Amino acid sequence: MESDELLINMGPVHPSTHGVLRFKLRMDGESIRECTPVLGHLHRGTEKIGEMKTYLQFIPYTDRLDYISAFPNNYAFVKAVEELAGIEVPLRAEYIRVLTMELNRIVNHLVSIGSLLMDLGAATMIMWGFRERENALQLFEMLCGARMTFNYIKPGGVREDIPDGFMPKLNEFLKDMEKRIDDYEQLINGNEIFHMRMKNIGVISAKDAVNYGWTGPTLRGSGVDYDLRKYEPYSIYPDLDFKVCVRNEGDSFARFIVRMDEMRESLHILRQVVDNMPASKEISSAKYGIAPMTGTPTAVSSYFPRIFTPPPGEVYSRIEAPKGELGFYVVSDGTTKPYRVKIRSPSFCNLTAIPSLVTGLKIPDLIAAFGTIDVVLGDVDR
Amino acid sequence: MEKGGIRVDPVTIDTTKIKITKKQPVTALDKLNDTGLISTVLSAREREGMILFSTVDQVFNWARLSSLWPVTSGLACCAIEMMAVAMAHHDIARFGMEIFRASPRQADLMFVAGTVTKRMAPRVKQLYEMMPDPKWVIAVGSCASTGGPYHESYSVLKGVDLIIPVDVYMPGCPPRPEAWIYAVIQLREKIKNQGYGAKWGLNK
Amino acid sequence: MNAAEELKNLLPGSVVSTGLQLNKPMAVIKKEELLKAAGKAKEMGFDHLSVITGIDYKDHFEVIYNFFSYNKKQNLALKVNLDHDKPEVESLTGLWNGADWLERETFDLVGIKFIGHPNLVRILLPDGWNGHPLRKDYDMNTEQFVTIGENGDDVVSTDGTNLLRRK
Repeated sequence: MESDELLINMGPVHPSTHGVLRFKLRMDGESIRECTPVLGHLHRGTEKIGEMKTYLQFIPYTDRLDYISAFPNNYAFVKAVEELAGIEVPLRAEYIRVLTMELNRIVNHLVSIGSLLMDLGAATMIMWGFRERENALQLFEMLCGARMTFNYIKPGGVREDIPDGFMPKLNEFLKDMEKRIDDYEQLINGNEIFHMRMKNIGVISAKDAVNYGWTGPTLRGSGVDYDLRKYEPYSIYPDLDFKVCVRNEGDSFARFIVRMDEMRESLHILRQVVDNMPASKEISSAKYGIAPMTGTPTAVSSYFPRIFTPPPGEVYSRIEAPKGELGFYVVSDGTTKPYRVKIRSPSFCNLTAIPSLVTGLKIPDLIAAFGTIDVVLGDVDR
Repeated sequence: MEKGGIRVDPVTIDTTKIKITKKQPVTALDKLNDTGLISTVLSAREREGMILFSTVDQVFNWARLSSLWPVTSGLACCAIEMMAVAMAHHDIARFGMEIFRASPRQADLMFVAGTVTKRMAPRVKQLYEMMPDPKWVIAVGSCASTGGPYHESYSVLKGVDLIIPVDVYMPGCPPRPEAWIYAVIQLREKIKNQGYGAKWGLNK
Repeated sequence: MNAAEELKNLLPGSVVSTGLQLNKPMAVIKKEELLKAAGKAKEMGFDHLSVITGIDYKDHFEVIYNFFSYNKKQNLALKVNLDHDKPEVESLTGLWNGADWLERETFDLVGIKFIGHPNLVRILLPDGWNGHPLRKDYDMNTEQFVTIGENGDDVVSTDGTNLLRRK
């Protein structure tokens, strides 16, 4: 039977494109014949701004790339600068950084799973997810006063030490979260409709996933045992005990389960961080830790010079952000501003595969497959 | 006019039998009176119905501000806070605003939640033009207000008020949910004082 | 022996020099031989193309490819130098599907042409945008505006009268 070809425009204002992404769909009846993503509706020129700002001034802009999980963005850029300038970081600062990043991973997965289920038509999970997210955001607020855009991690350490009363609240959160994840699993994992919508939808093999440059939970859902925290360790991750969550199916359901498992692993990491947090109050690098005006050792509040010139050179430094491999290519020419900042964002590279993933499926399946890739448009368009 | 077997003449009212109640608001009508929008609520003991005196402006404004329906158009970081505002903890449903419409044709309020890039600007304008009158716009965060941190960028519009009229500007990057609620209250104040009566100084 | 030197042993004609990119092995490749060298790197097990970076050095362009091997857990970076007048290099889309968008982005923002790319059009900025923003000589003072054309595509112009409420 012959059917007419239909052109459907989805976005850039659409409730389930998670922002301002636009799909041009060529439909054959109800199935998608060709899907062309149109990007760039949130292109803010971050890389050009990086060339106009000093190293310290650029850190707030990294917050606004992947705005759901901003701590890993901060850290990825700061790590590149630290590698470039050879700055040593005290152990307590590294522990605080990992603490914030893992908390942020939980927040990211909560938002991701919540919005995925809302797009599929189940509104409960996003209510629950945002309930727990609010508790985590209160912890972030205690640390640095901001809910989403932190500007907290800086070269040589972190901006401020952990305030009083933070640790008991964190312990409470960890205890609470364990039960909550059980609740989520009870709510979602056995749901038959959910299985029908997710299983065998958007299947990609391990070989293709690697070829498309997929990273993060999406890649691990296809059976590639790979996590930068484990295999190219940075910060204090070598000292921590955690396992890499992998599923072999490669479909949307597998990617969803990987995220659920990762939340548990993050809780496990956080508990270790809380137990082993060094008691010393040193949170900033000794090289820059003395404020020149006062001459006092800055044990509690950290200091970093505004005029900061790393030696000329270039570095590509990457971390395992909640969405995948987040890398910064920073070129220094020995002045106060970077010569070039290139951002390798996980969302952009993971989105590359969406046309091949959804060809032949229906539009509701596009929503399911797209939801499990978990992109943030600030990260895609930069 | 026959109603319930009693002949009701709206012109001759026996004023001695009218009681103006000044008690705690219990019924929905009392609460309505308490808002100050409806100027007088009179109840006649012998009558089965009640008589409300108000102006058309006040009734319309009250109806409009009590149930603003925003259009779902998240642009950037602020959109995540928009989700947080709509969710259980902050719960914008308390202001009659929980119905985020996916279609601009059913909405009367637009949150410009995030950075308006050059490429998105004509689409935002189109979205605004698709909304039926009366309509209001809240510019959320520094990006939508002035361009914010991206003011120097080559691809960012320096404030959404360059393309569409804005009613309330909300500072913050992104604004806290409390700031959203405050901005909404400001917009409600503004709507309350709209119309011909406001122009003639009668709605106050 | 690191991966860059290994590559030089395999392809002595293509590799100009080897060195370190801070701590990762890097090989500078002749620009004509990039496809060959990248193919060899893929054979050596570097199956993950991490990022493509284009840099404008005013007198020449550099394009840097960062690879990673999932089996060996090793890094490798390849670098090519391009003339400023004619920034052209072979496309790697035949080897990595992921190179598609990364190359389009580099073309869009830095203005490097990738020969053999199946669909080399702008990706982040709309078609018709004047200039490549990440070049050092990009004109930041001229405002460009986008409007929607008749068939729904973007139209770029420096005249914003259709869009703006006031001048």
